[in-house]
Amino acid sequence: MHVVALYWQAIVDGGGVDLELTAIAVAVSVVVGILAAVGRIYGGKLLGGAITVYVEIIRGLPPILQLFIIYFGLSQFQINLSSFSAGLLWLVLYGVGYAVEIFRAGIEAVSVGQREAADALGLTRVQALRKIILPQAWMVMLPSLMTFLVLQVKNTTLLYLVGIADIMYQARLGTSATEQPAIMYGMAAIAYLIINLTLSRIGSTLERRQALYR
Amino acid sequence: MSSDVVVDIEGLTKRFGPRTVFEDISLQVQRSEVVAVIGPSGAGKSTFIRCINYLHPFDAGRIRVLDHELVGGGAPPSKATLRQIRMQVGMAFQTFNLFPHLTALGNVMLGPMETKRVPASDARDKAMALLTSVGLADRAEAYPRRLSGGEQQRVAICRALAMDPEVMLFDEPTSMLDPEMVGEVLGTIRGLAAQGMTLILVTHEMQFAKEVADTVVVMADGRVVEKGPARDVLEHPTSERSRTFLTRVLKPLETVEDGQEQGQHGGQESGPGATTALGGDHP
Amino acid sequence: MSTLQLWGQYLPQFLAGLVVSLQLTGAALVLALALGTLLVLARTGRIRILAAIATGYVEVFRAVPVLVLLFTAYYSLAQLGLRLPGFWAGVVALGAFYGTLYGEDMRSGLQSVDPGQREAAVALGLSNGAVMRRVVLPQAFLAFLPPGTNELSNLIKDTSLVLTIGVTDLMFQANAAAAATFQPMDMFLLAGVVYFAFYILLSRILARWELNVQRRRS
Repeated sequence: MHVVALYWQAIVDGGGVDLELTAIAVAVSVVVGILAAVGRIYGGKLLGGAITVYVEIIRGLPPILQLFIIYFGLSQFQINLSSFSAGLLWLVLYGVGYAVEIFRAGIEAVSVGQREAADALGLTRVQALRKIILPQAWMVMLPSLMTFLVLQVKNTTLLYLVGIADIMYQARLGTSATEQPAIMYGMAAIAYLIINLTLSRIGSTLERRQALYR
Repeated sequence: MSSDVVVDIEGLTKRFGPRTVFEDISLQVQRSEVVAVIGPSGAGKSTFIRCINYLHPFDAGRIRVLDHELVGGGAPPSKATLRQIRMQVGMAFQTFNLFPHLTALGNVMLGPMETKRVPASDARDKAMALLTSVGLADRAEAYPRRLSGGEQQRVAICRALAMDPEVMLFDEPTSMLDPEMVGEVLGTIRGLAAQGMTLILVTHEMQFAKEVADTVVVMADGRVVEKGPARDVLEHPTSERSRTFLTRVLKPLETVEDGQEQGQHGGQESGPGATTALGGDHP
Repeated sequence: MSTLQLWGQYLPQFLAGLVVSLQLTGAALVLALALGTLLVLARTGRIRILAAIATGYVEVFRAVPVLVLLFTAYYSLAQLGLRLPGFWAGVVALGAFYGTLYGEDMRSGLQSVDPGQREAAVALGLSNGAVMRRVVLPQAFLAFLPPGTNELSNLIKDTSLVLTIGVTDLMFQANAAAAATFQPMDMFLLAGVVYFAFYILLSRILARWELNVQRRRS
């Protein structure tokens, strides 16, 4: 049992790293994702097409491969990113690919009638988006945004492969020191469980709160 | 008399939790009789008609359907009994409920093939004959999505008839239809009545009830407030509750009846369709 | 050596890796569908305790990353006396996770069927089995297909995780080639091309299949 006590702090530290990376990556990809979604819907053929291709590539390639391309692949061209920057860059690039689709679906779920009404009022496209469409889309998107958040937390498990000291990294380190994988990966599982279940709880509370306003 | 009673309901009571949907309803239906159940919405008419084929269990009373006995409250009847009843009692629904993954023909063939092991070719012949009788032979291969509401309801009636039922239940068969399609479905039902089928129907079509039904039952506030020969009940209601309901429903109808718009089914109802076979007014 | 020559040299190895990835996908899919079915039966069944266990299982396994499940299946189970080969550890971990997703997809597929459909089938006198087989399941399947196929393409990508426990799948081959040639980008790009070509191929096939199924029924 003292193994748990000994390594719990390390796992918690790893969790901190995971959360920090997730928070930064999600914040950036939400902002970029909104812009890209707008670009995809209103941006004409070229921009819209480019964004579609980007999304397809992100969705079509395994996450590990994407991460390895950024961290190891780029080194072939003497671009040597630090573990942290490579990890963060991947989480952002990956996140943008998902966020675009979430926001596109959300915006398109707002009825044409609402958009027409905004046009009829003489609002500019940006005004219509900010004041009419996004506030309504928010409700539609909330569940998928929460899923996205959980997905990104899970994606951080890959970052140990490029040497970021996240939960998995700590669990592996602990395993090689103690030869107790059941305890170490059990602790890792519990740590992720706590993080992700908390996130889903927050998500469903928000949903319920939002639903009240409808 | 009792030998020809096909549905005998006594003291039927249904509750949903603490709420009583209806209480102590009794009704006897003779072979070939047409019974129309009318009344304000929320009176429990749909729930009532669903008790007859036990789609809804009930809490007290009993129903004898043909040779089968259903008793409220206690243990549910055996699966075999229920299937027997349902095979002998056909039903058409307010929302048609056609199976969307089967063609019109497939919908009509399914029952006999699944329950009576009728070979596909026989089931097909019979289904085609039924669809032809309601004027839908050319729509046999169409999926429900491609059919109008009136067509869907006629297919749904054929689906029930394919089982050779002895009693047909109709739960507001025309209330989801666009006005111009009500006539074709009522024509089909009228044809069934003319052939001597026993019918129990929940409806809002007062004019139709007056013409086709032998007996009208008025349900309100969870009980039968009036019951009797159609014309008597509809023209000279005796109970206060059914009078208020009927004046509310019939008043607008009577005013429209004088006008031109009513022609769409007012005309059909007194036309040749009334006596010819199934849906004869729709070739 | 030029990139193309390298690609030519390593392509057979990569394709051998792809075969392993596909075997893994197939086995994990079978397990996931079986588990998903059990979860649906348990959650919709009458036995309270089974329903609670199934719900708990779904909650927990959806929240834990697949990689943690994979290491648990490979290392932890071995410590506890159950030594699974890497391939089967991968099947178990992926199946255990995707089973929760497929279970949910099946459940929402079943729930998407209008209650009136069941009622109409029962009113015809169909037995419970026939109601399921002839009326409910064909419609539920149609609703299940889009999320189900989406899950499948995610499953294929997630098989790449087995690289971490030494299963010689496509990703493993790419990583080995990257280390051997000192040209990681070239090798990972080749892997990307193979994965992506397969992804496109599969999503086109699945999309066409879906369309066919839908068209046959309208």
